[in-house]
Amino acid sequence: MRDYWLSKLFFDLQSPAVASEYRADRGKLLDRYPLKPEVRAAVEADDVAALSRLVNPYLLRFYFLMAGMPEADFLRRIRATASTPAGASRG
Amino acid sequence: MAELVGVYAASHGPMIVRNWKILAPAEKESLTSAFSELGRRIKASRPDALIVISPDHWVNFFIDNLPAICVGVGEAHDGPPAPWFKEFPHRKMAGHPPLAEHVVRTALERDFEPSVSYKLALDHGFCIPLWKAGLDPLPAIVPVIFNDLEPPLPSVRRCYSWGAMLAEAVASYPGNLRVAILATGGLSHSIGEPDMGRIDEAFDRDCIRRFENGDAPALFDFLNERLPGAGNGASEVRNWVAAHGAARGRGFELIRYDPIPNVYVGCGFASWKIG
Repeated sequence: MRDYWLSKLFFDLQSPAVASEYRADRGKLLDRYPLKPEVRAAVEADDVAALSRLVNPYLLRFYFLMAGMPEADFLRRIRATASTPAGASRG
Repeated sequence: MAELVGVYAASHGPMIVRNWKILAPAEKESLTSAFSELGRRIKASRPDALIVISPDHWVNFFIDNLPAICVGVGEAHDGPPAPWFKEFPHRKMAGHPPLAEHVVRTALERDFEPSVSYKLALDHGFCIPLWKAGLDPLPAIVPVIFNDLEPPLPSVRRCYSWGAMLAEAVASYPGNLRVAILATGGLSHSIGEPDMGRIDEAFDRDCIRRFENGDAPALFDFLNERLPGAGNGASEVRNWVAAHGAARGRGFELIRYDPIPNVYVGCGFASWKIG
């Protein structure tokens, strides 16, 4: 099951203008999306494992690339989800 | 009447462009050689129009309206919007509305229900193979987008039937036109998943053998069993299956296969027997 508004946020961030705005003031842009509190907290914490259960894996990968997380860091975090009980959603 | 002059497949991993500078020399040689041979074969078939089957990587469609299959009938298509792909030389690519509309009509007459778009942007899935194969000038492009990314996905068997229908549409097109089909994507890869970066070479080689021998039912059984374990990107093999259907399951000739770790993809290139 996908989280619609989280998916919409990640989808919209493909726009360079929106991405630029996000990098400048993450909180202000997040205010436009009716994210559940726990989902917003996961975004603010760069919680790859939690977010991986809520969005398409391609959007997840795009988001952290856009957000500037180093590739090695993202790979380490996403690979670590294999050992968590819920794992990551398959796309 | 139109003529189907070639059926091809090529991988399209974005790291082929984004990571090009850091690819190992052997990786660059493999990709350059494969794309060059693919381009040579496509150019030798002299297509006026190229039906390109590829997924949409969240450029045109979102989960508020996500077609299983969409045919682009526009007069022109936009180039890839990704900032890292600004080198792609075409901001606009000519479409072929009469052929695309004939594909849609043929589909509906045969109980397929495609989505239709007059305005598509073609992402790296389309544009990396077109660019790296050196197709310039480009033939007119008829994009056919398969949803290979976000479940539920079209069945493997249905993708084969789609390919067979595309060949029928080409054969019944009332115009003097040379048409080729290019399927892009695959083979195994995993993106944004716990096994991201893993290439399932055993799957890829088994898959290639089944395409080569042309036994479609055996291919369906194999893919239904093994696709779920080959990474989410392997779902794009559905596009290859459509190409297989267009070639009536006659089997194909492998141009090249190499697992390319810095691209994260088991990269395959092929052309089908259509004679």
